[in-house]
Amino acid sequence: MSTRSTERRAPGARRLLLWLPLLPFFLFGILMEIIPILSVLLSSLRDSQGGLSLANYARAMTKINRESFMNSVRLSAITAALGVGIGSLAGYAIMQSRSLFFRKVATALADVATNFGGAPLAFAFIVTLGSTGIVTQLLKKAFGIALYPSFRVYSVSGLVLAYLYFQLPLMILLIQPSLRGLKEEWREAALNLGATEARYWAKVALPVLAPSLAGGFLLLFANSYGAYATAWTLTGPDINLVTIRIAALIRGEVQLEPGTADAMAVISLAIMSLCVLGSMLTNRLTQRWKS
Amino acid sequence: MRTRSAWRGAIIAIFLIYMLVPLLATLLFSFATRWDRTILPEGLSIQWWKAVMAKRAFGMTLRNSLALSLATMLASIILVAPTAYWTHLRLPKARPYVELFTILPFGIPGVVLALALIRCYARFGAAVVYSPAMLVAACMVISLPFMYRPVLNALNAADVKVLTEAAQSLGAGWFRTMTRVIVPNIMSGIASGALLVFSTVFVEFTLANLLVGARFKTFPMYLVEFTRFDGRQASALAVISFVFAWLASIGVLLAAGRSEGAREGAAGAK
Repeated sequence: MSTRSTERRAPGARRLLLWLPLLPFFLFGILMEIIPILSVLLSSLRDSQGGLSLANYARAMTKINRESFMNSVRLSAITAALGVGIGSLAGYAIMQSRSLFFRKVATALADVATNFGGAPLAFAFIVTLGSTGIVTQLLKKAFGIALYPSFRVYSVSGLVLAYLYFQLPLMILLIQPSLRGLKEEWREAALNLGATEARYWAKVALPVLAPSLAGGFLLLFANSYGAYATAWTLTGPDINLVTIRIAALIRGEVQLEPGTADAMAVISLAIMSLCVLGSMLTNRLTQRWKS
Repeated sequence: MRTRSAWRGAIIAIFLIYMLVPLLATLLFSFATRWDRTILPEGLSIQWWKAVMAKRAFGMTLRNSLALSLATMLASIILVAPTAYWTHLRLPKARPYVELFTILPFGIPGVVLALALIRCYARFGAAVVYSPAMLVAACMVISLPFMYRPVLNALNAADVKVLTEAAQSLGAGWFRTMTRVIVPNIMSGIASGALLVFSTVFVEFTLANLLVGARFKTFPMYLVEFTRFDGRQASALAVISFVFAWLASIGVLLAAGRSEGAREGAAGAK
Protein backbone atom coordinates (compact mmCIF):
# COMPACT_ATOMS: atom_id res chain seq x y z
CA MET A 1 0.00 0.00 0.00
CA SER A 2 2.76 2.37 0.93
CA THR A 3 4.72 1.65 -2.26
CA ARG A 4 1.61 2.40 -4.20
CA SER A 5 1.16 5.79 -2.69
CA THR A 6 4.79 6.72 -3.37
CA GLU A 7 4.22 5.58 -6.93
CA ARG A 8 1.22 7.80 -7.18
CA ARG A 9 3.01 10.72 -5.66
CA ALA A 10 5.90 10.66 -8.09
CA PRO A 11 4.93 8.77 -11.22
CA GLY A 12 7.09 10.97 -13.41
CA ALA A 13 10.25 10.35 -11.39
CA ARG A 14 9.63 6.60 -11.29
CA ARG A 15 9.07 6.47 -14.98
CA LEU A 16 12.27 8.36 -15.56
CA LEU A 17 14.13 5.92 -13.29
CA LEU A 18 12.84 3.11 -15.48
CA TRP A 19 14.68 4.65 -18.44
CA LEU A 20 17.91 5.06 -16.48
CA PRO A 21 19.40 1.60 -17.29
CA LEU A 22 19.05 2.39 -20.99
CA LEU A 23 21.04 5.61 -20.65
CA PRO A 24 24.46 4.15 -21.61
CA PHE A 25 23.06 2.59 -24.76
CA PHE A 26 21.23 5.71 -25.90
CA LEU A 27 24.22 7.86 -25.05
CA PHE A 28 26.40 5.60 -27.18
CA GLY A 29 23.95 5.71 -30.07
CA ILE A 30 23.66 9.49 -29.93
CA LEU A 31 27.41 10.09 -29.61
CA MET A 32 28.48 7.49 -32.19
CA GLU A 33 25.65 7.56 -34.71
CA ILE A 34 23.36 10.60 -34.53
CA ILE A 35 25.80 13.43 -33.78
CA PRO A 36 28.50 12.27 -36.25
CA ILE A 37 25.95 11.94 -39.05
CA LEU A 38 24.47 15.35 -38.21
CA SER A 39 27.92 16.91 -38.22
CA VAL A 40 28.65 15.51 -41.69
CA LEU A 41 25.28 16.82 -42.87
CA LEU A 42 26.01 20.27 -41.42
CA SER A 43 29.54 20.51 -42.75
CA SER A 44 28.33 19.40 -46.19
CA LEU A 45 26.13 22.51 -46.24
CA ARG A 46 28.94 24.91 -45.32
CA ASP A 47 31.42 26.61 -47.59
CA SER A 48 35.03 27.27 -46.58
CA GLN A 49 34.05 30.56 -44.89
CA GLY A 50 31.40 28.80 -42.79
CA GLY A 51 28.39 30.21 -44.59
CA LEU A 52 25.45 28.15 -45.79
CA SER A 53 25.98 26.94 -49.35
CA LEU A 54 25.36 24.12 -51.76
CA ALA A 55 28.81 24.46 -53.32
CA ASN A 56 29.94 21.11 -51.90
CA TYR A 57 27.05 19.38 -53.64
CA ALA A 58 27.96 21.08 -56.89
CA ARG A 59 31.52 19.78 -56.46
CA ALA A 60 30.17 16.32 -55.61
CA MET A 61 28.54 16.35 -59.03
CA THR A 62 31.57 17.26 -61.10
CA LYS A 63 32.39 14.78 -63.84
CA ILE A 64 34.74 12.43 -62.00
CA ASN A 65 32.52 12.32 -58.90
CA ARG A 66 29.37 11.86 -60.95
CA GLU A 67 31.10 8.94 -62.65
CA SER A 68 31.90 7.39 -59.29
CA PHE A 69 28.20 7.50 -58.34
CA MET A 70 27.22 5.97 -61.67
CA ASN A 71 29.85 3.23 -61.32
CA SER A 72 28.78 2.41 -57.76
CA VAL A 73 25.10 2.33 -58.66
CA ARG A 74 25.77 0.21 -61.74
CA LEU A 75 27.98 -2.26 -59.85
CA SER A 76 25.42 -2.49 -57.03
CA ALA A 77 22.50 -2.97 -59.44
CA ILE A 78 24.32 -5.69 -61.42
CA THR A 79 25.49 -7.66 -58.36
CA ALA A 80 22.09 -7.23 -56.68
CA ALA A 81 20.19 -8.42 -59.78
CA LEU A 82 22.52 -11.39 -60.31
CA GLY A 83 22.45 -12.11 -56.58
CA VAL A 84 18.64 -12.08 -56.46
CA GLY A 85 18.29 -14.20 -59.61
CA ILE A 86 20.92 -16.85 -58.98
CA GLY A 87 20.55 -16.73 -55.20
CA SER A 88 16.80 -17.40 -55.36
CA LEU A 89 17.29 -20.30 -57.79
CA ALA A 90 20.05 -21.75 -55.63
CA GLY A 91 17.96 -21.21 -52.49
CA TYR A 92 15.05 -23.03 -54.13
CA ALA A 93 17.28 -25.86 -55.34
CA ILE A 94 18.78 -26.26 -51.86
CA MET A 95 15.34 -26.27 -50.24
CA GLN A 96 14.01 -28.89 -52.65
CA SER A 97 16.84 -31.24 -51.81
CA ARG A 98 15.61 -34.39 -50.08
CA SER A 99 18.61 -34.69 -47.79
CA LEU A 100 18.15 -32.77 -44.55
CA PHE A 101 21.90 -33.02 -43.94
CA PHE A 102 22.68 -31.34 -47.27
CA ARG A 103 20.14 -28.58 -46.63
CA LYS A 104 21.75 -27.86 -43.27
CA VAL A 105 25.30 -27.89 -44.64
CA ALA A 106 24.41 -25.66 -47.61
CA THR A 107 22.63 -23.15 -45.38
CA ALA A 108 25.55 -23.17 -42.96
CA LEU A 109 27.92 -22.52 -45.86
CA ALA A 110 25.78 -19.57 -46.97
CA ASP A 111 25.76 -18.36 -43.37
CA VAL A 112 29.53 -18.34 -43.15
CA ALA A 113 30.09 -16.90 -46.62
CA THR A 114 27.88 -13.82 -46.13
CA ASN A 115 30.23 -12.73 -43.38
CA PHE A 116 33.29 -13.16 -45.58
CA GLY A 117 34.38 -10.34 -47.72
CA GLY A 118 36.98 -7.68 -47.46
CA ALA A 119 40.67 -8.18 -48.01
CA PRO A 120 40.98 -11.99 -47.69
CA LEU A 121 38.11 -12.55 -50.13
CA ALA A 122 39.54 -10.18 -52.71
CA PHE A 123 42.90 -11.88 -52.41
CA ALA A 124 41.34 -15.33 -52.82
CA PHE A 125 39.91 -14.13 -56.14
CA ILE A 126 43.30 -12.85 -57.26
CA VAL A 127 44.78 -16.29 -56.50
CA THR A 128 41.93 -18.01 -58.36
CA LEU A 129 41.30 -15.75 -61.35
CA GLY A 130 44.27 -13.39 -61.48
CA SER A 131 46.48 -13.28 -64.58
CA THR A 132 48.49 -16.28 -63.28
CA GLY A 133 45.61 -17.49 -61.13
CA ILE A 134 44.94 -21.15 -60.57
CA VAL A 135 41.67 -21.37 -62.50
CA THR A 136 43.08 -19.09 -65.20
CA GLN A 137 46.00 -21.55 -65.63
CA LEU A 138 43.71 -24.55 -65.54
CA LEU A 139 41.41 -23.18 -68.23
CA LYS A 140 44.34 -22.25 -70.45
CA LYS A 141 46.41 -25.42 -70.07
CA ALA A 142 43.66 -28.02 -69.90
CA PHE A 143 40.96 -26.53 -72.10
CA GLY A 144 42.77 -23.95 -74.19
CA ILE A 145 40.50 -21.15 -72.94
CA ALA A 146 42.39 -17.89 -72.49
CA LEU A 147 40.61 -15.62 -70.00
CA TYR A 148 43.15 -12.83 -70.38
CA PRO A 149 43.30 -10.18 -71.74
CA SER A 150 39.52 -10.03 -72.43
CA PHE A 151 38.76 -10.65 -68.73
CA ARG A 152 40.64 -9.04 -65.85
CA VAL A 153 39.95 -9.84 -62.21
CA TYR A 154 41.26 -6.38 -61.27
CA SER A 155 38.42 -4.70 -63.17
CA VAL A 156 34.66 -4.25 -62.83
CA SER A 157 33.97 -7.80 -64.01
CA GLY A 158 36.33 -9.08 -61.30
CA LEU A 159 34.51 -6.96 -58.73
CA VAL A 160 31.17 -8.41 -59.84
CA LEU A 161 32.49 -11.96 -59.35
CA ALA A 162 34.01 -11.14 -55.96
CA TYR A 163 30.92 -9.28 -54.69
CA LEU A 164 28.68 -12.18 -55.73
CA TYR A 165 30.64 -14.29 -53.26
CA PHE A 166 28.85 -12.51 -50.39
CA GLN A 167 25.72 -11.44 -52.32
CA LEU A 168 24.57 -14.95 -53.36
CA PRO A 169 24.67 -16.45 -49.87
CA LEU A 170 22.91 -13.40 -48.43
CA MET A 171 20.06 -13.83 -50.93
CA ILE A 172 19.85 -17.55 -50.16
CA LEU A 173 19.39 -16.70 -46.48
CA LEU A 174 16.91 -13.87 -47.19
CA ILE A 175 14.68 -15.84 -49.58
CA GLN A 176 14.46 -19.06 -47.58
CA PRO A 177 11.64 -18.04 -45.20
CA SER A 178 9.50 -16.88 -48.15
CA LEU A 179 10.18 -20.06 -50.13
CA ARG A 180 9.11 -22.06 -47.09
CA GLY A 181 5.91 -19.97 -47.06
CA LEU A 182 4.92 -21.23 -50.53
CA LYS A 183 2.31 -23.81 -49.62
CA GLU A 184 2.31 -27.09 -51.51
CA GLU A 185 -1.53 -26.94 -51.57
CA TRP A 186 -1.42 -23.83 -53.76
CA ARG A 187 0.57 -25.65 -56.38
CA GLU A 188 -1.69 -28.70 -56.20
CA ALA A 189 -4.80 -26.53 -56.44
CA ALA A 190 -3.42 -24.68 -59.46
CA LEU A 191 -2.38 -27.86 -61.25
CA ASN A 192 -5.73 -29.53 -60.45
CA LEU A 193 -7.53 -26.56 -61.95
CA GLY A 194 -5.66 -27.12 -65.19
CA ALA A 195 -2.79 -24.64 -64.85
CA THR A 196 0.62 -25.58 -66.20
CA GLU A 197 3.73 -25.48 -64.04
CA ALA A 198 4.81 -22.25 -65.75
CA ARG A 199 1.41 -20.66 -65.18
CA TYR A 200 1.51 -21.61 -61.50
CA TRP A 201 4.85 -19.81 -61.17
CA ALA A 202 3.71 -16.76 -63.13
CA LYS A 203 0.32 -16.32 -61.49
CA VAL A 204 0.78 -17.69 -57.96
CA ALA A 205 4.31 -18.28 -56.75
CA LEU A 206 6.11 -15.25 -58.19
CA PRO A 207 3.48 -12.70 -57.10
CA VAL A 208 3.71 -14.15 -53.56
CA LEU A 209 7.50 -14.00 -53.66
CA ALA A 210 7.64 -10.56 -55.32
CA PRO A 211 7.94 -8.45 -52.13
CA SER A 212 10.75 -10.68 -50.81
CA LEU A 213 12.58 -10.52 -54.12
CA ALA A 214 12.27 -6.72 -54.18
CA GLY A 215 13.35 -6.44 -50.54
CA GLY A 216 16.27 -8.75 -51.22
CA PHE A 217 17.33 -6.64 -54.19
CA LEU A 218 17.36 -3.48 -52.05
CA LEU A 219 19.37 -5.07 -49.23
CA LEU A 220 21.88 -6.56 -51.69
CA PHE A 221 22.12 -3.19 -53.43
CA ALA A 222 22.97 -1.45 -50.14
CA ASN A 223 25.36 -4.25 -49.20
CA SER A 224 27.32 -3.72 -52.40
CA TYR A 225 27.10 0.08 -52.47
CA GLY A 226 28.73 0.44 -49.05
CA ALA A 227 31.50 -2.11 -49.69
CA TYR A 228 35.02 -0.75 -49.75
CA ALA A 229 37.66 -3.23 -48.58
CA THR A 230 37.02 -5.82 -51.31
CA ALA A 231 37.19 -3.22 -54.08
CA TRP A 232 40.27 -1.54 -52.61
CA THR A 233 42.21 -4.80 -52.26
CA LEU A 234 41.23 -6.06 -55.71
CA THR A 235 41.57 -2.95 -57.81
CA GLY A 236 43.24 -0.28 -55.69
CA PRO A 237 42.49 3.27 -56.79
CA ASP A 238 42.03 2.19 -60.43
CA ILE A 239 38.28 1.90 -60.17
CA ASN A 240 36.26 5.00 -59.52
CA LEU A 241 33.66 4.02 -56.89
CA VAL A 242 32.00 6.35 -54.37
CA THR A 243 33.47 4.58 -51.34
CA ILE A 244 36.96 4.56 -52.86
CA ARG A 245 36.62 8.25 -53.69
CA ILE A 246 35.43 9.23 -50.19
CA ALA A 247 38.27 7.22 -48.66
CA ALA A 248 40.79 8.96 -50.92
CA LEU A 249 39.38 12.35 -49.87
CA ILE A 250 39.68 11.35 -46.18
CA ARG A 251 43.31 10.35 -46.64
CA GLY A 252 43.90 13.64 -48.41
CA GLU A 253 45.18 11.95 -51.58
CA VAL A 254 42.97 14.13 -53.71
CA GLN A 255 43.46 17.88 -53.49
CA LEU A 256 39.94 19.19 -53.25
CA GLU A 257 37.75 21.10 -50.89
CA PRO A 258 37.22 18.81 -47.88
CA GLY A 259 33.48 19.47 -48.03
CA THR A 260 33.20 17.43 -51.22
CA ALA A 261 33.61 14.19 -49.26
CA ASP A 262 30.86 15.34 -46.87
CA ALA A 263 28.40 16.00 -49.69
CA MET A 264 29.21 12.64 -51.31
CA ALA A 265 28.75 10.94 -47.94
CA VAL A 266 25.35 12.58 -47.42
CA ILE A 267 24.15 11.53 -50.88
CA SER A 268 25.37 7.99 -50.13
CA LEU A 269 23.52 8.00 -46.82
CA ALA A 270 20.35 9.04 -48.63
CA ILE A 271 20.71 6.21 -51.17
CA MET A 272 21.47 3.67 -48.43
CA SER A 273 18.57 4.72 -46.20
CA LEU A 274 16.13 4.54 -49.13
CA CYS A 275 17.29 0.95 -49.69
CA VAL A 276 17.02 -0.05 -46.03
CA LEU A 277 13.63 1.67 -45.57
CA GLY A 278 12.35 0.13 -48.80
CA SER A 279 13.39 -3.35 -47.72
CA MET A 280 11.64 -2.86 -44.36
CA LEU A 281 8.49 -1.89 -46.25
CA THR A 282 8.60 -4.98 -48.46
CA ASN A 283 9.21 -7.01 -45.32
CA ARG A 284 5.89 -5.76 -44.00
CA LEU A 285 4.17 -6.75 -47.26
CA THR A 286 5.65 -10.24 -46.93
CA GLN A 287 4.06 -10.67 -43.51
CA ARG A 288 0.63 -10.80 -45.21
CA TRP A 289 1.28 -14.30 -46.56
CA LYS A 290 2.52 -15.73 -43.31
CA SER A 291 -0.62 -16.85 -41.59
CA MET B 1 10.64 -34.55 -63.45
CA ARG B 2 14.11 -35.61 -64.61
CA THR B 3 14.87 -32.22 -66.19
CA ARG B 4 13.79 -30.47 -62.99
CA SER B 5 16.18 -32.41 -60.80
CA ALA B 6 18.89 -31.95 -63.44
CA TRP B 7 18.83 -28.15 -63.29
CA ARG B 8 18.66 -28.27 -59.52
CA GLY B 9 21.73 -30.48 -59.40
CA ALA B 10 23.53 -28.20 -61.84
CA ILE B 11 22.82 -24.99 -59.95
CA ILE B 12 23.80 -26.55 -56.63
CA ALA B 13 27.03 -27.84 -58.18
CA ILE B 14 27.86 -24.39 -59.60
CA PHE B 15 27.08 -22.76 -56.26
CA LEU B 16 29.31 -25.16 -54.32
CA ILE B 17 32.18 -24.86 -56.82
CA TYR B 18 31.92 -21.08 -56.70
CA MET B 19 31.92 -21.03 -52.90
CA LEU B 20 34.70 -23.55 -52.34
CA VAL B 21 37.21 -23.08 -55.18
CA PRO B 22 38.56 -19.65 -54.06
CA LEU B 23 39.09 -20.99 -50.53
CA LEU B 24 40.78 -24.20 -51.63
CA ALA B 25 42.85 -22.33 -54.20
CA THR B 26 44.16 -19.92 -51.57
CA LEU B 27 44.95 -22.79 -49.20
CA LEU B 28 46.83 -24.79 -51.86
CA PHE B 29 48.62 -21.68 -53.12
CA SER B 30 50.04 -21.02 -49.67
CA PHE B 31 51.67 -24.48 -49.65
CA ALA B 32 52.78 -24.59 -53.31
CA THR B 33 56.43 -24.16 -54.26
CA ARG B 34 55.91 -22.92 -57.81
CA TRP B 35 52.61 -22.74 -59.61
CA ASP B 36 52.70 -20.44 -62.59
CA ARG B 37 53.80 -22.89 -65.30
CA THR B 38 51.81 -26.03 -64.54
CA ILE B 39 48.23 -27.04 -63.84
CA LEU B 40 49.11 -28.58 -60.50
CA PRO B 41 51.71 -27.11 -58.14
CA GLU B 42 55.26 -28.29 -58.81
CA GLY B 43 55.74 -29.17 -55.16
CA LEU B 44 54.49 -28.56 -51.67
CA SER B 45 56.30 -26.85 -48.82
CA ILE B 46 55.71 -24.78 -45.74
CA GLN B 47 58.36 -22.20 -46.64
CA TRP B 48 55.87 -19.33 -47.15
CA TRP B 49 54.23 -20.04 -43.81
CA LYS B 50 57.60 -20.10 -42.08
CA ALA B 51 58.67 -16.88 -43.78
CA VAL B 52 55.50 -14.98 -42.95
CA MET B 53 55.33 -16.16 -39.35
CA ALA B 54 58.95 -15.26 -38.70
CA LYS B 55 58.23 -11.57 -39.26
CA ARG B 56 57.82 -9.37 -36.22
CA ALA B 57 54.90 -7.52 -37.79
CA PHE B 58 53.03 -10.82 -38.14
CA GLY B 59 52.75 -11.36 -34.39
CA MET B 60 52.14 -7.69 -33.75
CA THR B 61 49.28 -7.28 -36.22
CA LEU B 62 47.73 -10.58 -35.16
CA ARG B 63 47.85 -9.46 -31.52
CA ASN B 64 46.43 -6.04 -32.45
CA SER B 65 43.52 -7.62 -34.30
CA LEU B 66 42.82 -10.10 -31.53
CA ALA B 67 42.90 -7.32 -28.94
CA LEU B 68 40.63 -5.12 -31.07
CA SER B 69 38.14 -7.95 -31.68
CA LEU B 70 38.08 -9.04 -28.03
CA ALA B 71 37.72 -5.48 -26.72
CA THR B 72 34.87 -4.74 -29.13
CA MET B 73 33.21 -8.04 -28.26
CA LEU B 74 33.34 -7.47 -24.50
CA ALA B 75 32.23 -3.84 -24.76
CA SER B 76 29.33 -4.87 -27.03
CA ILE B 77 28.18 -7.53 -24.59
CA ILE B 78 28.29 -5.09 -21.68
CA LEU B 79 26.43 -2.40 -23.63
CA VAL B 80 23.87 -4.46 -25.51
CA ALA B 81 22.90 -7.45 -23.37
CA PRO B 82 21.61 -5.46 -20.34
CA THR B 83 19.88 -3.01 -22.69
CA ALA B 84 18.10 -5.81 -24.55
CA TYR B 85 17.10 -7.45 -21.26
CA TRP B 86 15.76 -4.28 -19.69
CA THR B 87 13.88 -3.25 -22.84
CA HIS B 88 12.38 -6.69 -23.20
CA LEU B 89 11.31 -7.07 -19.59
CA ARG B 90 10.59 -3.66 -18.14
CA LEU B 91 10.30 -1.10 -20.87
CA PRO B 92 8.80 -2.48 -24.12
CA LYS B 93 7.94 1.14 -24.96
CA ALA B 94 11.64 1.84 -25.55
CA ARG B 95 12.01 -0.99 -28.03
CA PRO B 96 11.47 1.01 -31.26
CA TYR B 97 14.15 3.51 -30.18
CA VAL B 98 16.62 0.78 -29.26
CA GLU B 99 15.97 -0.96 -32.58
CA LEU B 100 16.44 2.27 -34.48
CA PHE B 101 20.02 2.48 -33.20
CA THR B 102 20.66 -1.17 -34.06
CA ILE B 103 19.29 -0.84 -37.62
CA LEU B 104 20.97 2.50 -38.46
CA PRO B 105 24.43 0.92 -38.92
CA PHE B 106 23.08 -1.09 -41.87
CA GLY B 107 22.55 2.21 -43.66
CA ILE B 108 25.98 3.68 -42.92
CA PRO B 109 28.85 2.58 -45.19
CA GLY B 110 32.15 2.10 -43.34
CA VAL B 111 33.86 4.97 -45.15
CA VAL B 112 30.97 7.30 -44.28
CA LEU B 113 31.11 6.31 -40.61
CA ALA B 114 34.86 6.99 -40.56
CA LEU B 115 34.35 10.38 -42.22
CA ALA B 116 31.51 11.29 -39.85
CA LEU B 117 33.56 10.42 -36.77
CA ILE B 118 36.52 12.44 -38.05
CA ARG B 119 34.31 15.47 -38.80
CA CYS B 120 32.66 15.22 -35.41
CA TYR B 121 35.60 14.49 -33.10
CA ALA B 122 38.63 15.95 -34.90
CA ARG B 123 38.15 19.13 -32.84
CA PHE B 124 39.20 17.18 -29.73
CA GLY B 125 42.55 16.44 -31.34
CA ALA B 126 44.13 13.62 -33.27
CA ALA B 127 44.81 11.73 -30.04
CA VAL B 128 41.07 11.30 -29.57
CA VAL B 129 39.72 10.72 -33.06
CA TYR B 130 42.55 8.58 -34.43
CA SER B 131 42.89 6.40 -31.31
CA PRO B 132 42.38 2.65 -30.89
CA ALA B 133 39.60 3.48 -28.40
CA MET B 134 37.72 5.36 -31.12
CA LEU B 135 38.27 2.38 -33.42
CA VAL B 136 36.74 0.05 -30.81
CA ALA B 137 33.71 2.35 -30.50
CA ALA B 138 33.34 2.54 -34.29
CA CYS B 139 33.58 -1.25 -34.57
CA MET B 140 30.88 -1.49 -31.90
CA VAL B 141 28.62 0.63 -34.10
CA ILE B 142 28.95 -1.60 -37.16
CA SER B 143 28.47 -4.72 -35.04
CA LEU B 144 25.45 -3.48 -33.02
CA PRO B 145 22.97 -5.40 -35.24
CA PHE B 146 25.03 -8.59 -34.90
CA MET B 147 24.98 -8.36 -31.09
CA TYR B 148 21.40 -7.19 -30.58
CA ARG B 149 19.40 -9.63 -32.76
CA PRO B 150 20.70 -12.92 -31.30
CA VAL B 151 20.33 -11.66 -27.72
CA LEU B 152 16.79 -10.44 -28.42
CA ASN B 153 15.84 -13.76 -30.04
CA ALA B 154 17.25 -15.65 -27.06
CA LEU B 155 15.24 -13.41 -24.69
CA ASN B 156 12.08 -14.12 -26.69
CA ALA B 157 12.76 -17.85 -26.73
CA ALA B 158 13.57 -18.14 -23.02
CA ASP B 159 10.41 -16.44 -21.72
CA VAL B 160 12.50 -14.27 -19.46
CA LYS B 161 9.55 -12.61 -17.79
CA VAL B 162 8.28 -15.86 -16.29
CA LEU B 163 11.80 -16.89 -15.32
CA THR B 164 12.44 -13.60 -13.54
CA GLU B 165 9.14 -13.76 -11.65
CA ALA B 166 9.69 -17.39 -10.70
CA ALA B 167 13.19 -16.71 -9.41
CA GLN B 168 12.08 -13.72 -7.40
CA SER B 169 9.03 -15.41 -5.91
CA LEU B 170 11.38 -18.19 -4.76
CA GLY B 171 13.34 -15.55 -2.87
CA ALA B 172 16.26 -15.00 -5.20
CA GLY B 173 17.71 -11.51 -5.10
CA TRP B 174 18.43 -9.41 -8.16
CA PHE B 175 22.04 -10.57 -8.50
CA ARG B 176 21.19 -14.25 -8.04
CA THR B 177 18.36 -13.98 -10.57
CA MET B 178 20.73 -12.54 -13.13
CA THR B 179 23.70 -14.84 -12.65
CA ARG B 180 21.86 -18.10 -11.96
CA VAL B 181 18.72 -17.78 -14.09
CA ILE B 182 18.74 -15.11 -16.79
CA VAL B 183 22.30 -15.19 -18.10
CA PRO B 184 22.48 -19.01 -18.38
CA ASN B 185 19.17 -19.04 -20.25
CA ILE B 186 20.17 -16.44 -22.82
CA MET B 187 23.82 -17.55 -22.98
CA SER B 188 23.44 -19.07 -26.46
CA GLY B 189 22.23 -15.71 -27.79
CA ILE B 190 25.05 -13.81 -26.10
CA ALA B 191 27.58 -16.33 -27.42
CA SER B 192 26.22 -16.15 -30.99
CA GLY B 193 26.28 -12.36 -30.92
CA ALA B 194 29.75 -12.24 -29.38
CA LEU B 195 31.22 -14.58 -32.00
CA LEU B 196 29.58 -12.64 -34.83
CA VAL B 197 31.05 -9.42 -33.46
CA PHE B 198 34.43 -11.10 -33.14
CA SER B 199 34.49 -12.41 -36.72
CA THR B 200 33.19 -9.12 -38.16
CA VAL B 201 35.79 -7.03 -36.38
CA PHE B 202 38.63 -9.47 -37.04
CA VAL B 203 38.37 -8.97 -40.82
CA GLU B 204 37.38 -5.28 -40.60
CA PHE B 205 39.64 -3.16 -42.80
CA THR B 206 37.86 0.08 -43.71
CA LEU B 207 37.52 1.69 -40.26
CA ALA B 208 40.94 0.53 -39.08
CA ASN B 209 42.62 1.83 -42.21
CA LEU B 210 40.91 5.23 -42.18
CA LEU B 211 40.75 5.89 -38.42
CA VAL B 212 44.08 4.65 -37.06
CA GLY B 213 46.08 3.78 -40.19
CA ALA B 214 49.70 2.80 -39.60
CA ARG B 215 49.61 3.77 -35.90
CA PHE B 216 47.75 0.57 -35.01
CA LYS B 217 48.23 -1.91 -37.79
CA THR B 218 45.65 -4.69 -37.83
CA PHE B 219 45.87 -8.09 -39.46
CA PRO B 220 43.70 -7.21 -42.50
CA MET B 221 45.82 -4.08 -43.08
CA TYR B 222 48.94 -6.23 -43.01
CA LEU B 223 47.30 -8.64 -45.47
CA VAL B 224 46.40 -5.87 -47.92
CA GLU B 225 49.96 -4.56 -47.73
CA PHE B 226 51.30 -8.04 -48.55
CA THR B 227 48.99 -8.60 -51.52
CA ARG B 228 50.81 -5.74 -53.22
CA PHE B 229 54.29 -7.27 -53.08
CA ASP B 230 54.29 -10.95 -52.05
CA GLY B 231 51.30 -13.03 -53.08
CA ARG B 232 52.66 -16.26 -51.65
CA GLN B 233 52.97 -15.00 -48.11
CA ALA B 234 49.74 -13.05 -48.47
CA SER B 235 47.95 -16.32 -49.21
CA ALA B 236 49.11 -17.72 -45.87
CA LEU B 237 47.71 -14.61 -44.15
CA ALA B 238 44.42 -14.98 -46.05
CA VAL B 239 44.16 -18.61 -44.96
CA ILE B 240 44.60 -17.55 -41.33
CA SER B 241 41.78 -14.99 -41.76
CA PHE B 242 39.54 -17.63 -43.29
CA VAL B 243 40.25 -20.07 -40.46
CA PHE B 244 39.31 -17.45 -37.86
CA ALA B 245 36.11 -16.61 -39.75
CA TRP B 246 35.20 -20.28 -40.09
CA LEU B 247 35.90 -21.08 -36.44
CA ALA B 248 33.77 -18.15 -35.29
CA SER B 249 30.97 -19.09 -37.70
CA ILE B 250 30.99 -22.73 -36.61
CA GLY B 251 30.81 -21.50 -33.03
CA VAL B 252 27.79 -19.34 -33.93
CA LEU B 253 26.07 -22.29 -35.60
CA LEU B 254 26.70 -24.52 -32.59
CA ALA B 255 25.43 -21.87 -30.17
CA ALA B 256 22.44 -21.07 -32.38
CA GLY B 257 21.67 -24.76 -32.78
CA ARG B 258 20.99 -24.86 -29.06
CA SER B 259 18.41 -22.12 -29.30
CA GLU B 260 16.79 -22.34 -32.70
CA GLY B 261 16.62 -19.11 -34.62
CA ALA B 262 19.02 -17.07 -32.51
CA ARG B 263 21.01 -16.48 -35.69
CA GLU B 264 18.08 -15.07 -37.63
CA GLY B 265 18.49 -11.69 -39.20
CA ALA B 266 22.15 -11.47 -38.35
CA ALA B 267 23.44 -11.34 -41.91
CA GLY B 268 24.56 -8.36 -43.85
CA ALA B 269 26.74 -5.26 -43.68
CA LYS B 270 29.99 -5.44 -45.57
